[in-house]
Amino acid sequence: MIRIEPEPWAAMVAHGQASYPNECCGAMLGSTERDSKTVRQAIALENAFDGVQAARYELRPEDLLAADKAARERKMDLIGIYHSHPDCDAYFSTTDLQNSCPWYSFVVLSIQKGEFHHANCFLPNFDQTEAPKEELIY
Amino acid sequence: MAKILIPTPLRQFTAKQDSVTVPGATVGEVLTALTTEYPDLRKQIFTEEGKLRSFVNVYLNDEDIRYIGRDAAPAADADTLSLVPSIAGGMPGGTN
Repeated sequence: MIRIEPEPWAAMVAHGQASYPNECCGAMLGSTERDSKTVRQAIALENAFDGVQAARYELRPEDLLAADKAARERKMDLIGIYHSHPDCDAYFSTTDLQNSCPWYSFVVLSIQKGEFHHANCFLPNFDQTEAPKEELIY
Repeated sequence: MAKILIPTPLRQFTAKQDSVTVPGATVGEVLTALTTEYPDLRKQIFTEEGKLRSFVNVYLNDEDIRYIGRDAAPAADADTLSLVPSIAGGMPGGTN
């Protein structure tokens, strides 16, 4: 289960809406207790995809490295990644799966006509063949 | 003894340590020492064929090892290694 506190959740939604009609992406920092994760801060990262960003996103590893360093400095953990699907449902696409990492939770926000619609969270496996849903509370 | 920063989800395999130090004169030797000392990490980082998983990037300080000699890159005591995933995605209809 992953719970996102109101402040980071508002930041993630605002980021998705501001990036519309393009995809946004970012990192989620917080804490992990047994099977429960709590997101306390969201860090907006640049969509580095070199092409049409309405249907693609790409994180620079250097940006993710910086987010991990920020988490350590703030005594938090990097626990997940978020991105938006403009005018599309919040599901884990084949492209998402094939470019994922099993270490983190992946939150997808559906932004429809510029407004937040719904969200889901996924946990991809090692082989990048499946990503079951993780309970998401926001 | 290079220092390796351990991503949060992998700390369950390093006795909850957020960083560890292991011996090695090169990046390859350091990674081998890491997975020898913490064998449960091997599956997380390497394929069964012993290659780095496709989503794993290794940084020596702030440099991607792919640009500084990969496994052969020298690792000094003051160096820090980081394991950083490659992450991207998109929706159907997006150009690949």
